[in-house]
Amino acid sequence: MIVAGIDIGSRAAKAVIMEDSAIISSTIGDTGPESVKTAYMTIEAAMNGPGLSLNNIDYIVATGYGRVLVPFAAENISEISCHARGINWYYPSVRTILDMGGQDCKAIRCDAEGHVTNFVMNDKCAGGTGRFLEMIAEVLGTPLSEIGELSLKSVNGITFNTICAVFAKSEAIAYLRHGVARSDILAGLNEAISVRCLNLLKNVSIEKDFTITGGIAKNRGMVTSISEKVGLEPLLAEDPQIIGALGAAIFARERYLGKESKEDGKRQYGYNDGTGDYYITIDLERCDGCGECVSACPEDVFEVVAEDGRQPKARVVEAARKRLSIVCPGYSSCSSRHLINCQSACPSDAISLTW
Amino acid sequence: MINWSSSLSCWKTDKFMKTLGIDIGSLNIKAIVLGDDGILGTGIGPPGDDVEVGARSMLELVTSQAGLNLDSLPLLATGVGAKLFSFAPQRKAITTCLARGIRHLYPSVRLAIDMGAESTTVIKMNERGRLADWANHDKCASGTGLFLQQMAKLMGLPLDEMAGLSLQAKGRASITSTCAVFAESEVISHVHRDPPTPKEDIIAGIYYSVVSRIMSMCKRVGIEKEVVVTGGVALNDGLVSILEEELGFKVLRPKEPQTVAALGAAIIAGENPEKGIRK
Repeated sequence: MIVAGIDIGSRAAKAVIMEDSAIISSTIGDTGPESVKTAYMTIEAAMNGPGLSLNNIDYIVATGYGRVLVPFAAENISEISCHARGINWYYPSVRTILDMGGQDCKAIRCDAEGHVTNFVMNDKCAGGTGRFLEMIAEVLGTPLSEIGELSLKSVNGITFNTICAVFAKSEAIAYLRHGVARSDILAGLNEAISVRCLNLLKNVSIEKDFTITGGIAKNRGMVTSISEKVGLEPLLAEDPQIIGALGAAIFARERYLGKESKEDGKRQYGYNDGTGDYYITIDLERCDGCGECVSACPEDVFEVVAEDGRQPKARVVEAARKRLSIVCPGYSSCSSRHLINCQSACPSDAISLTW
Repeated sequence: MINWSSSLSCWKTDKFMKTLGIDIGSLNIKAIVLGDDGILGTGIGPPGDDVEVGARSMLELVTSQAGLNLDSLPLLATGVGAKLFSFAPQRKAITTCLARGIRHLYPSVRLAIDMGAESTTVIKMNERGRLADWANHDKCASGTGLFLQQMAKLMGLPLDEMAGLSLQAKGRASITSTCAVFAESEVISHVHRDPPTPKEDIIAGIYYSVVSRIMSMCKRVGIEKEVVVTGGVALNDGLVSILEEELGFKVLRPKEPQTVAALGAAIIAGENPEKGIRK
């Protein structure tokens, strides 16, 4: 049995091919402007090594930002589930995952089987993402692959007051002009990003063992800084960047063998954008999809959807999730203006707000 | 040197008292010379590498243009860079100075939106013109002048040309990210779409993303019947017209919206002139 997982991220596309329960090939490439073309190029690069063609692969699962645009995939699954499943293959003891990608950052909690129990995601602000590091590397004139090592040489890290990529860039330029060492600037940025990651992790509560996945996990300076802040030594996979694709391949194997999966728990919708935390949490075990929240919300934030033929559950409308602090006034301001709101309307107490 | 007892009484009787206000912003320094019968001179310019030097030369410029001597005028500094300007004998928060400046220009107005290069502030004033409430956003570039500048660079258009184009827009491109970095990728995808989104619509979409951020702050402090816009971004006709659409009425705009905080600073300097003179 040969299965494959493909992870089309915002900056990099990854693929993993497994034969039974061993990885036989993996590849990492850039995400191009055309998702479909990127998908074909990535899977072909992975198939080249073992000399396979698409006909030899029994089941393919796609994940990542571009997962809906993979024509040859039999199914697509969210990258959050895939990261949890992928790291479980390497280290079953991992309970807390920090996934640092090109354009977002996620904190995920999972159980011993690699099922997601809780997660928070920040894809609203570039602070602390791969894009942020790319911008800084460009300003400093240092290749992206070298900034991790360089930051470890810092003697006297400077303090950054901001995690905004645009502000940090102008601050970095000003420091450079005043002759501050590049390693010290990088160490200061790593520190600022680590604080932010720690806050994200605290939202799902940190439990041993801890790991970091995604492209940034290859940046040694950042990993060192985060492990200092978190106080736990992360269990790093051999290649942390392919974990999402690996998880997708594992799902593909399970699906091929006819196993159904259960992906319930708490879902947090929202973000942290430098001005504060804005999250709506829906407890999927409690939610029965009654739709009271949909009619109670004056801003039409909720919808009830049955995902993949499962029981209908409430969720936050995608357009509202990305603008939550603008659309939703938060529980206390909302309840002072309206008689009912999502939290008071929910008969099973499944909704909570963090503002 | 100034003789304190005599100079103090001279100020109190002198009806032609003149004062200086300076607003040290992140992108520009604004200075005003204020006399009893109105503004005697204004100056706007970048701070350069050293705030101390830049602010000092700006003050020298405006005072010499008004034919006055810098050392004899009471001075008050405000803005993000005020604490770096050790030359100023006193400082006040930007919100206080803005409230005072707006009170002077528009005595009846209760709500002002100050749109600066690196921060946006919405202030509410009580009937005495004093600060009642405010909302401030200076943590990131979303909804600020820097965001607009970044977008102008991306579109390859000067800021004022962009503003003009947005007035001709027939629709608004959807820009869902408020983060400057992510909005940039959204703009790029609009440009490369087939067929590409019209430039005008993209610009209107960019402005709308800034306006929606500002509107959420206005709602937090409560919208009033009359609204004044200040700060450098207030010069942007395209953005202001979208703001007016969202508010549902016309906003008031001073002739020099950038210098309102400096004006307020000069007014406050006149209230306690003895504090504003360097020893």
